[in-house]
Amino acid sequence: MNKDKELEELFLAQKPHFDDNEAFIASLNKRLDAVEYVKQHQEATIRRYKWAMVAAFVVGIISGAITIAFVLSMPAEIPLFSFSARSAVLVWLSEHSRIIVTTALSLFMGFAVFSIFGNVMDIVKMRKRVMEIH
Amino acid sequence: MTREGFIALVEREQEALRGFLLYLCCGNKDEADDISQDALVKAYLSSAGYQEKGRFRSWLFKIAHNTFLNHKASCRTTESLDEARTLISNTSADASFAHQDLYLALRTLPPKERSAITLFYLNGYNIKEIAAITDTSEDAVKKQLSRGRDKLKEKLKP
Repeated sequence: MNKDKELEELFLAQKPHFDDNEAFIASLNKRLDAVEYVKQHQEATIRRYKWAMVAAFVVGIISGAITIAFVLSMPAEIPLFSFSARSAVLVWLSEHSRIIVTTALSLFMGFAVFSIFGNVMDIVKMRKRVMEIH
Repeated sequence: MTREGFIALVEREQEALRGFLLYLCCGNKDEADDISQDALVKAYLSSAGYQEKGRFRSWLFKIAHNTFLNHKASCRTTESLDEARTLISNTSADASFAHQDLYLALRTLPPKERSAITLFYLNGYNIKEIAAITDTSEDAVKKQLSRGRDKLKEKLKP
């Protein structure tokens, strides 16, 4: 497509010039400072969150393992809990209290590990986004 | 890209970028500078994805063009030509006063035609480059240029 000479000359004759270039760059630098500040804050938050997750994971695994070991080390003939009422279901629950408590604890730990794993994946994604910004 | 490197490139290209946006904003310097700053912050944030092989200016213009369209979409105000005339008259006590007719004529064009015309006549890009910057086909750019040129010539008739 050919250029329209008249229009081209009009545009070129009226090419804008700016005499506040330094002020513009100074203003841009201010904005970039704010962006950097937010970025650093985000990174610090992510870092703290990551360590909190690692600590929760380790503490959870250790305390869960200790509790399960404690439950399993108790005498098998003494139930962990018993009921004053006598019914077949409650008696069965009392007789199998160790297994029930251990299973409940294991399920809870499994759920906690799963949640922490999900959170860690979120952190990895957030970090990736922040790294892309860099 | 480091911040210093980015600023150095921006210092080199800022006049072209601000001029482009000034034309897109039809002479409204404050609005143009605001959009320029927004576009440059966006460019800085995505500068990791910038490929050195591409021209920095084209890449910057692409971001600026998208920022301008988003800005226009977010404030869909339909100002009449008379309002535009008043606005420009009030804010152009400086050199931009001389550009009033061209700005007023540009204001009658839809944003995409305005972009194509400005990139073609002010910044000297060819159709292929404009298509890349505005993310449209070359045929669409040709149509925009043709329609825009006809409208401009009609408006600028003495």
